[in-house]
Amino acid sequence: MRLSARPSSGVVLVACLLLLWEVSARLDWMHTPNWPPLTDVLVALAHDTLTGELPLLVGGTLWRMAAGLAAGGAAGVVVGMLFATLPMTARLFGPMVELVRPIPIPAVIPPLVLFLGLDNTMKVTVVALTVFFPVLTNTMQGVAAVEADTLAMGRTFGIGPLRRALRITLPAVLPYILAGFRVSLALALVVAVVAEMIAGEQGIGHYLVMMQFAGRAPEIYATVLVLAVLGYGLNRAFLVMEHRTIHWWFAMGRQADG
Amino acid sequence: MKLSRIWPGLVVLALLLAGLEAAVNAGLIRRALMPAPSAIAPVLWGLLESGEVLEPLFATLRLVFAGFAIGSVLGIAVGLAMGWFPAAFRLLEPLVELLRPIPKAALVPALMLFLGIGETMKITSVSLAVLFPVLVNTLQGVRGVDRVMLDAARTHGWGPAHTLLHLVLPAALPFILAGMRISLGLALVLAVLAEMLTGQGGLGFLILDMQRSFLIRQMYAWLVILAVVGLALNGLFLFVERRALHWQPALRP
Repeated sequence: MRLSARPSSGVVLVACLLLLWEVSARLDWMHTPNWPPLTDVLVALAHDTLTGELPLLVGGTLWRMAAGLAAGGAAGVVVGMLFATLPMTARLFGPMVELVRPIPIPAVIPPLVLFLGLDNTMKVTVVALTVFFPVLTNTMQGVAAVEADTLAMGRTFGIGPLRRALRITLPAVLPYILAGFRVSLALALVVAVVAEMIAGEQGIGHYLVMMQFAGRAPEIYATVLVLAVLGYGLNRAFLVMEHRTIHWWFAMGRQADG
Repeated sequence: MKLSRIWPGLVVLALLLAGLEAAVNAGLIRRALMPAPSAIAPVLWGLLESGEVLEPLFATLRLVFAGFAIGSVLGIAVGLAMGWFPAAFRLLEPLVELLRPIPKAALVPALMLFLGIGETMKITSVSLAVLFPVLVNTLQGVRGVDRVMLDAARTHGWGPAHTLLHLVLPAALPFILAGMRISLGLALVLAVLAEMLTGQGGLGFLILDMQRSFLIRQMYAWLVILAVVGLALNGLFLFVERRALHWQPALRP
């Protein structure tokens, strides 16, 4: 985007909409207590942040998200590698994976509650299950994209299988795995929040539902705002990390979407 | 997919079910948590045979399809406008970038305060979830249209409306459909979530309700039904996508 001295029409539109939000809420055009002014939302956000309530809740949610991301991602990479290198395993277990994949994730929470209870274990598992599928798919694509010539050349030069896997296959697959993780990252945050909304008494998701029961609209919008910023920030941070880790991939003129 | 290619997988599935059955009967898995498949099957059959399945099924499908239709139409319309008219892009791009990262699932409580717990709220949350992936993909598709083709259209004296309908839309279609396929999955997720949080309506509510009432066999039966719905929706869309894009060489099997 080009920088110019005059704000673009889009920025003006956003500013007008925010102003409309504030004015419509202050003058109660909507005839509802559930349409709080933007300034009230920001005050609620500042208040809950300063009391430490929000950071604590967000921290818990982020921790569960990260644990699920790590567990599900690792499982996805391992199974993806297995499926791609030993086609027989894909034929044996592929249909099972394809049967579980289309189940909408909130629906697996009730049975998981039975086995794992309401606390961390259940929520981390739900996140891991969500993350597993995109990472699995991307890993398999990545292994399929490893150039056979490169591997053959490695063999010709007498490089052992372990070193071939570490020095040739892994770097070639890494961009795909990272792309899978990036897709999963956004899902993981949302799913962690969803799991907290449906079951248990932890984290930002539960807070959201409690505020809804209490009819405290400013807190709800403040929480939504925090989650949006968090999602955006995590994605940005991951992109930076991705560019650092696989700079050579981008140097070859490839796109982030692998 | 050919039957000869998937039979090993089906055998593994059958073995797993048999193994589960044996494990439950041997007391390795607590019956209260995971009933034997043979105990779930009659419940499932009962739901299907009595027609009890129809009402919740249609309630959920109605949400999914209504929200999906509204969100897709809006997403395609705004995406086309933003891709085609630079002024529309400048006007709407900051707004879209601002709203896009908001997790739509977290909006459900806010929408519940606003629109109540009825159909309006559920359909709104589903269409919001559908809107943005479709919009962004449509935009990407429109911007990716070959400049040479656009010049050719102008040379042949095509008007803007004709070009949009007969060149830009078909060229962007693979992107639009890819966005819609992602959104269809999201639509089902949001529908189930909204049903769970409002405590009324279709399949999502029933699964949670059965778990809370400790009607575990019923819970698994409804879960199987929901899984079949997810599988069928995905299959249906892949079929439609393949038909709509038959002219695309890359997608030919």
